[in-house]
Amino acid sequence: MIQVENLVKYYGSFVALRGISFEVPSGQVLGFLGPNGAGKSTTMKILTGYLYPSSGQVRVDGIDVQRDPLTVRKKVGYLPETNPLYMDMRVDDYLRFVGGVRGLRGKEMLRGIQRVVEVCGLARVYRKEIRELSKGYRQRVGLAQAMIHDPEILVLDEPTSGLDPNQIVEIRELIRSLGADRTVLLSTHYLQEVEATCDRILIVARGKLVADGTSRSLTSTLPAGPLTVEIKGPKNKIETQLKELFPAETGVEVRFLGEEGPEDFLFHVGTSPDSDEHVREAIFDLVSRNGWKLLEMHRRPASLEQVFRKLTLDPVEEPLVVKEASTGGDHV
Amino acid sequence: MSKTTVILRREFRSYFLSPIAYVVGGLFLGIGGWLYFSRVFFDFGAGAEARMGGFFSLLPLFFLVLVPALSMRLWAEEKKLGTFELLLTFPVRTRDLILGKFLGGLFFVIVLLAFTLPYPITLATYGKLDWGPVIGGYLGGILLAASYLSLGLFISSLTRDQIIALLLSVAALLVLVLLPQVGAAMSPSLAEAFKLLSPVEHFRSIARGVLDLRDLIFYIVFCGLFLYLNALVLEFKKRNG
Repeated sequence: MIQVENLVKYYGSFVALRGISFEVPSGQVLGFLGPNGAGKSTTMKILTGYLYPSSGQVRVDGIDVQRDPLTVRKKVGYLPETNPLYMDMRVDDYLRFVGGVRGLRGKEMLRGIQRVVEVCGLARVYRKEIRELSKGYRQRVGLAQAMIHDPEILVLDEPTSGLDPNQIVEIRELIRSLGADRTVLLSTHYLQEVEATCDRILIVARGKLVADGTSRSLTSTLPAGPLTVEIKGPKNKIETQLKELFPAETGVEVRFLGEEGPEDFLFHVGTSPDSDEHVREAIFDLVSRNGWKLLEMHRRPASLEQVFRKLTLDPVEEPLVVKEASTGGDHV
Repeated sequence: MSKTTVILRREFRSYFLSPIAYVVGGLFLGIGGWLYFSRVFFDFGAGAEARMGGFFSLLPLFFLVLVPALSMRLWAEEKKLGTFELLLTFPVRTRDLILGKFLGGLFFVIVLLAFTLPYPITLATYGKLDWGPVIGGYLGGILLAASYLSLGLFISSLTRDQIIALLLSVAALLVLVLLPQVGAAMSPSLAEAFKLLSPVEHFRSIARGVLDLRDLIFYIVFCGLFLYLNALVLEFKKRNG
C-alpha cells in the first residue's frame, strides 16, 4: 500500500508538484501518464527516496519514506527514466553488486540472480559487458536490477522508452507478468501501454493530478465520435437524402468523407448520445427504402488519447476521478 | 560483507576497468623507478646509512596529481551515468556510501604504495637502512593520501564533470600544500598557524619516524570534516533536486 499525500516539490522557484495525493493498494498495476515535465518522474523520485518533497509525505505500508528511508527502499525496486548502468561492468558483476548493496548474501544472492536472469531473459548476455548490449537488453538489465531482491513494489519510469516495437511488446509482457503478484507503478508516454498493462490510470499535468480511473471509465466520460457510414449507391442522391433526413435543426451533422470505389461512399454522421439509436435506425431505413447497400456503420469510442489531450492541454480545476476504478486492484 | 565493503569493492575494481588505474599507476611507478635509479630517492648518510628521504619528500607532490586523478570519478562519474540516482535509492546509508568510495580509493593508493616496497628492501640489502623513517614515511603517506582523497571526493560530489573535479581538486590541494610558504611570506605567527593546517607538514613530521598523536588527530579531523561535508552535499541534493 502506497499513500501519497499532498506532495509539493519546488526546484528552486519552479514548482514541479502542486499537491498530488493518491493511494495505491497492494497488487495494483498503476499507470502514470502525463506530458513531459508534468511531475511523473519527480513523484517517482520522491517515492523511492531519491528526493525529499518540499512538503507532503509518502508512506509505504504506513512507513514514512523520509523518516525511515532504508526500510522503504528495501521494499521498493526502482528503474529510473534514464536506466543508469555501469557500462564497463559485466552483467553478472553488476547484478552481484546490486544484490550486494541490497543486502543479499550467499544462497539468497544466487537465487535472486537466477530468478531475474530467467525472468528477464538474460542468460545469453550474462557474461557480457553492459556496453556491448543492445538497448533492449540494457533495459532488461535495468529491470533485473530493480527486482533482484523480489520487491513488493516496482517503480518503473518509462520502462519502454526508446525501444523498438518488438522489444516494447516483450517488456510489456514482462511487466504484466511481474504485476501479477506485486504492486507496479509505471510511467509512460505510450497510451496503448497503460491500456494493455494497467489496472488503473493516473494522469498528471502541470504538477497536479487531473484524472484517476481505468482506461474504460476515463474514455466513457468523453462523447463518442461520429458514426462512419459506408453506403453503396449513387453519391448525389445519398448525400441529399441523408441531409434531408437530418436537417440542420436536428443537430445531426452529415459530412461526405470520400469514396472507397465507384458507387461506394463514406459519410460521417455526428450524433449525440440521446439521438444515437434513432439516427442509426433512420439511416438503415433510408438505405433499405432506396435499395442501396449498407456496407458498414461503426463508431469509434473516444480514445484515451482524446482524454489525455483534453485533460493535459486545458487547465483543469477538479481532477476527474472515476470511482469504479479506485477500488480496482483487489486481485492480490 | 557489509554494504560499505560492497561499495568499496566495486570502486576498487572499477579502477581496473578503466585506463585510469593503468595510466596513474604506470606513471607513478615509472617516474618513481626512474628517480629511484637516478638516486634522487635515497642517499647514504655518514657511516653508509641509507635513507629514503628523497622519495618521501616528493610524495606530497606525486599525490597532488595522482590522488585527484583517482578521486575525480568517484561521484562525478556516477552523476554523469545517472547511477547516482540509483545508488541513493539503494537501502544503504549515505555514510556507508561515502565511506565505501573513500576506502575504495584509499585501497588503490595503498596498493600503489606497496609496489614501491622494493625500494627500501633493496636499500636494506645494500646498506644499513634505518627502518623507523621508512615505516613512518609509508604510514604518513597513507594518511596524506587519505586527506587528499577526502578533499577530492568532496569536490567530486560537487560536479558531474570529471575534468572539473580534477582541476578543482589539484587547485585546492595546491593551496593546502603552499599554505606554509604563503604564511611564511606574510608573518611568522601566520606561518605557524598555516603549518598546523597543512597535511604536508603533518606528513613530514610523521615521515621523520616519530608518530605524534597530534598528527594522527589532524588527519582524522581533516578526513572526517570533508567526508561530513560530502554527506551534506548529498543531503542538499536530495532536498533541492
